[in-house]
Amino acid sequence: MPPPQPTLSPALTLHRLATLQPTCTSRTWQSVPHPHLPIIATAVSDRTVRVYSLTNFSLLHTISGGHKRSVRAVSWKPHSQGQSVLATGSFDASAGVWRRWERGGGDVEKDFTRESGGDDGDDGGDEEDDDYNFSCILDGHESEIKSLAWNNMSGSLLATCSRDKSIWIWEELEEDNFETVAVLQEHEADVKCVAWHTAEDLLASASYDDTIRLWKEDVDDWVQVALLAGHEKTVWWVEFEGAGLKNVSEGGGGGDGAVGEEGEVGRKEFLERRKLAGPRLVSSSDDCTVRIWRRIPKENQHSSGAGSVPSILRSHSVEEEWVQETILPQRHDRAIYSVSWSRKTGMIVSAGSDGRIVVYQERWRKEVANGVDETLVPADELARDGKKNSEEAAARSKEESASLTEWVVVAEIEGAHDVFEINHVCWARRCDKGKRSDDEEVIISTGDDGEVKVWTLDEQSNNGP
Amino acid sequence: MDPDKDNANPTILNPSDLPSRRRESSVKKREDGGVGLFDDLIPAYTYLNDPFDLPASSSDSDSDSVEDIDAQEIYDLISSISDPEHPLSLGSLAVVNLPDIRILPPTSAGSPISTVVVEITPTITHCSLATVIGLGVRVRLEQALPPRFRVDVRIKKGTHSTDEAVNKQLGDKERVAAALENGTLMGVLRKMLSTCE
Repeated sequence: MPPPQPTLSPALTLHRLATLQPTCTSRTWQSVPHPHLPIIATAVSDRTVRVYSLTNFSLLHTISGGHKRSVRAVSWKPHSQGQSVLATGSFDASAGVWRRWERGGGDVEKDFTRESGGDDGDDGGDEEDDDYNFSCILDGHESEIKSLAWNNMSGSLLATCSRDKSIWIWEELEEDNFETVAVLQEHEADVKCVAWHTAEDLLASASYDDTIRLWKEDVDDWVQVALLAGHEKTVWWVEFEGAGLKNVSEGGGGGDGAVGEEGEVGRKEFLERRKLAGPRLVSSSDDCTVRIWRRIPKENQHSSGAGSVPSILRSHSVEEEWVQETILPQRHDRAIYSVSWSRKTGMIVSAGSDGRIVVYQERWRKEVANGVDETLVPADELARDGKKNSEEAAARSKEESASLTEWVVVAEIEGAHDVFEINHVCWARRCDKGKRSDDEEVIISTGDDGEVKVWTLDEQSNNGP
Repeated sequence: MDPDKDNANPTILNPSDLPSRRRESSVKKREDGGVGLFDDLIPAYTYLNDPFDLPASSSDSDSDSVEDIDAQEIYDLISSISDPEHPLSLGSLAVVNLPDIRILPPTSAGSPISTVVVEITPTITHCSLATVIGLGVRVRLEQALPPRFRVDVRIKKGTHSTDEAVNKQLGDKERVAAALENGTLMGVLRKMLSTCE
């Protein structure tokens, strides 16, 4: 059941700041901002990738000639020094790696060794140095690649997933030398999306089999460490919360955060527990829901308080316990293809087939009825092969996290891409001249109309820039 | 008959029994008049399927110029698709039927999105080509209808052994997109759709 929906009217307004130019003539699937440059890469069904400027919203590069079918997904390698490295995943079952030396920021290091690495057609003169050069191809999947992601920690692990039900993890040992470190095959159907944890090497995957699975390295093997069941249809997207605690917003409308001393203590403890659990996971699905999942910290499993039945010992196990924390207010009536969690503000944005963009914010609850959030359903209880004592898990999760917060819709726009579906939505740092602060973020939406749009979030009274 | 076919002896409807607006418009009667030749032939169809009669639609949608596509038009777009294994149309095989076509209006006042729901009836319960037929219907409608329509193609409940699995596939945008980049499959679809228009 969905949680009771706070009926606050949206406090913010989405304004279209720009449409990246020129637009594409065919479906665009995903747009991903560069980790530190003001540029964004868009995966296009015409087999190319477009790289646009987020400063003036114009096209900088078209990466073509690599893939034989739609480019479905892109991912920028984090922590790359002196060069930009882009991975592309295609319906042609292969992943490509592309490199471009960064100019401007420091002297460009002319490294000729890259020329030796598997480039076909070395017609490159100086002019070519300005382009994204094909670096290598990762072959292994049997059918379309749906998503791929570099890990946040080292930036040397690349996860790819496919309709062939598998997830591959590749490790870049040295430039252009990738080794397959894992092939994970537990999903029962297409794997739609992979995403890395923001503070550890934990991988999440979303699937056509309606489940989310978490994966981790145990000694030398990558293994499934959790199964999150709850969604009733295909899970299209997963993304972790940013590392580091975000402030929970005070509810709007007069409350002034007057919670009293007891309330303050409760909030402090609540945030402590949250810190212990680490970044949460958000998922979106064909079942029209956006759900948040939370880890039950291990420490608590073994030192749980009075009255709890001693749990079955799973010592040295890498298994993790995750529970569904809440379902966000339901505003979509068709598949939600994408959801993104701002690492700056902690706000969440979702979009999908119905063409709506919805922005949610977490707030302190005004009053907590009985101290228990009934929306807390332990994932294990629903898990197909879960054999754990679900009652125990339920009791524990209630005891631990009587939710002091709630999610409210703070902005919403209908028909964001006219009548077209929105395939992807994400947050990016605002980089154009009109930015109001260094921290300001924009929302980037990518649609079936071949357009990539940039949106600002404005106060209701303000008519925008 | 050909033993390789899933259903070597399908039931075939007489073309004159198929619902059509052409004859209806030839006598210059509107469907809301309810006295066309068409109504006499298959009276239940228009009644059940007039999108304006759906309880969910607004009362005066008759005058709503946006809602100008009805089930008959949808039927006309897809009934002429050829069956992948018989030289016959989906209409004459009763794979697509007018009563199984619904047009759902936008779910909220501000939304421009309407939904077309087509339920197809495979000729036999284990027809392995159900997915291909469904894909053909979806592709035909996506190409022919304005983009404000979302197309949901499903197997009619109880008419196919694996209807849920087929429905899930047909509803998956990414799978459909990838299928359309598959040359072999596109060849089959192109042949099926070549009899349209």
